[in-house]
Amino acid sequence: MTALIAVEDLARVYEVGAEKVHALDGVSFEVAEGEFLAVVGQSGSGKSTLMNILGCLDTPTRGLYRIHGQDVAGLSDNALADLRNREIGFVFQTFQLLPRSTALSNVELPLVYRGLRRSERRELARAALCAVGLENRMHHRPNELSGGQRQRVAIARALVGSPSLLLADEPTGNLDSATGEEIVRLFAELNRRGHTILLVTHEPRLAARCPRAIRLSDGRVVADGPGREVAALGGPQVVPA
Amino acid sequence: MSRVGPFVLRGLAELGEASRIALATLARHRLRSLLTTLGIVIGVTTVIAIIAIVQGLDQSFEAQVASLGANTLYVQKFKWIMSDSEWSLLRNRQPLTLATYRAVERESRLAVATSPRAFSSAVVGRRGVEMKSVAVFGVGARWLETAGGAVAFGRFLSQNEVELDRAVVVLGAEVVDVLFPGLPPGAAVGEQVTVDGRPLVVVGVLERKGRILDQSLDKQALLPFGTFGALFGMKRSITIAAAAPSGRVNELEDELTGILRRVRRVPPGKPDDFSINRQEQLLKLYVGLTRALYAVAVGIGLITLVVGGIGIMNIMLVSVHERTREIGLRRALGARRRTVLMQFLLEASLVAALGGAVGTALGLGVAELIALFTPLAAAVTGSAVALGLSFSALVGILFGSFPAWRAAHLDPVEALRYE
Repeated sequence: MTALIAVEDLARVYEVGAEKVHALDGVSFEVAEGEFLAVVGQSGSGKSTLMNILGCLDTPTRGLYRIHGQDVAGLSDNALADLRNREIGFVFQTFQLLPRSTALSNVELPLVYRGLRRSERRELARAALCAVGLENRMHHRPNELSGGQRQRVAIARALVGSPSLLLADEPTGNLDSATGEEIVRLFAELNRRGHTILLVTHEPRLAARCPRAIRLSDGRVVADGPGREVAALGGPQVVPA
Repeated sequence: MSRVGPFVLRGLAELGEASRIALATLARHRLRSLLTTLGIVIGVTTVIAIIAIVQGLDQSFEAQVASLGANTLYVQKFKWIMSDSEWSLLRNRQPLTLATYRAVERESRLAVATSPRAFSSAVVGRRGVEMKSVAVFGVGARWLETAGGAVAFGRFLSQNEVELDRAVVVLGAEVVDVLFPGLPPGAAVGEQVTVDGRPLVVVGVLERKGRILDQSLDKQALLPFGTFGALFGMKRSITIAAAAPSGRVNELEDELTGILRRVRRVPPGKPDDFSINRQEQLLKLYVGLTRALYAVAVGIGLITLVVGGIGIMNIMLVSVHERTREIGLRRALGARRRTVLMQFLLEASLVAALGGAVGTALGLGVAELIALFTPLAAAVTGSAVALGLSFSALVGILFGSFPAWRAAHLDPVEALRYE
């Protein structure tokens, strides 16, 4: 069986002035369908770059990236946009909700770009909001919701198009620990229901909760194994202010 | 989910979303949108008002020019259109007299109809009611065949009445309105009126012609030429009107020139000592004038295009800047570049079209006010309104392109991270 996603010798080089910065420098791994894994590493380790490439927001300088066996390199900008729409569900640290739209409208948004009828969009968006436990908050705007509820709306938005992969970038970073815990439990629950989830974080505690974790350092994979073990490898973390 | 026309469905869904966003943005930034479009509003207002007035002028001018007759030549001492220096030159010409007219009447083979015309301003009265500054003309029996127009009630001056200098008169519709208030206009026929104190019998009433600017074409009275002479004297130069057969105006002009030079003994090699005028000259002058007005309108339009367009470009750049993260998010969720492009283009053209609509409404209002308080007429056609609206939407698209292009080409990663 082919892996859901496969990266091989992935590299991303930024040119900052005359200097070349290797944000990723030969990263290889595979993710099977139904996995729940964390990518962990300190700030500057290349996590965000990896996440952007996996999310088809950025393209690698070198190496292969396949989703469902399809090589992403060489796809047009339009094809990448369509791929993001169908295959990827993003969850951001800062939620990224449209402030003047209701929860329902926010969740509907990816389906607009898929060309679904309004009635179909509404129906799917309701179902997604129910799945994250927000059936009573559908017509609230983001400023009428708590941080945890906002992130749930964002998760519903990521789920609504039934993507192959949920990509979560520091999803608990802007939440207090209790609320963060709720969100982690929600991810675990979604994984039990069959969703493939990749969580990018700098917190070893979070990585320890995942069945599998990959540790990045200076753009390379330095560990790939059960979450608890990989998290422990890092030792005491220096969390950047 | 229906598989029929997925592209159409997607396009519709995106268009719906784009319109929703554009309207929401406009509603949220009402003052900003209004100020942004001010340039376009002012420009469209001006252009619409100018066009309305020019079109109004067109209509009343057409009526006036038509009353001169397309095939009629007017032999006169002066040219209709001349400079001051020309005027001082021409004023020394010998006046045209009745004898000159007789020669034309006798010798012209081409003219379909001829008539002399003498003019004065006079008081017309009846039973103590007086109307001042009525245009009184002394004319021949075939005057209407040269100048156009028709009799509405009664009849025109007869050949007999003209030859015998009868005390009769044909009145313009407005004169009848004033002198016979409350009576049906036909009732004037057979009644007696006075022209500068001299009693005359009304034999006919002319059809109403309307106004040009503040001048009524119906405030006139037509007398037999000799009757006019007895009243006002015969010292002033007269006009000789001659109607040509259709399409032979130039031939008639040549013929008249020959007759007049002979009768007035102009030596060969010397310039004519008379002028032959025709409707076409006025038309030319008028077309030149309105062309200048249209040029002004176009000039203002172009300046507005730039000023209004820059305003829109400016505010759209601000809008793109403010919504950088939103753009990044939409791109992450699957919006294509052209979707983002369309969203901002729609917003820009909507703001501009809104300005165009406000400007059109104001322009029509200004034109109406001008028509109300000045002698200028204003006519507004649908084409002017369509022009104003499409013109401003075009400005929106034109100047919205750059900001929209910028929005569409933002790097989604950078945009999402933008603080």
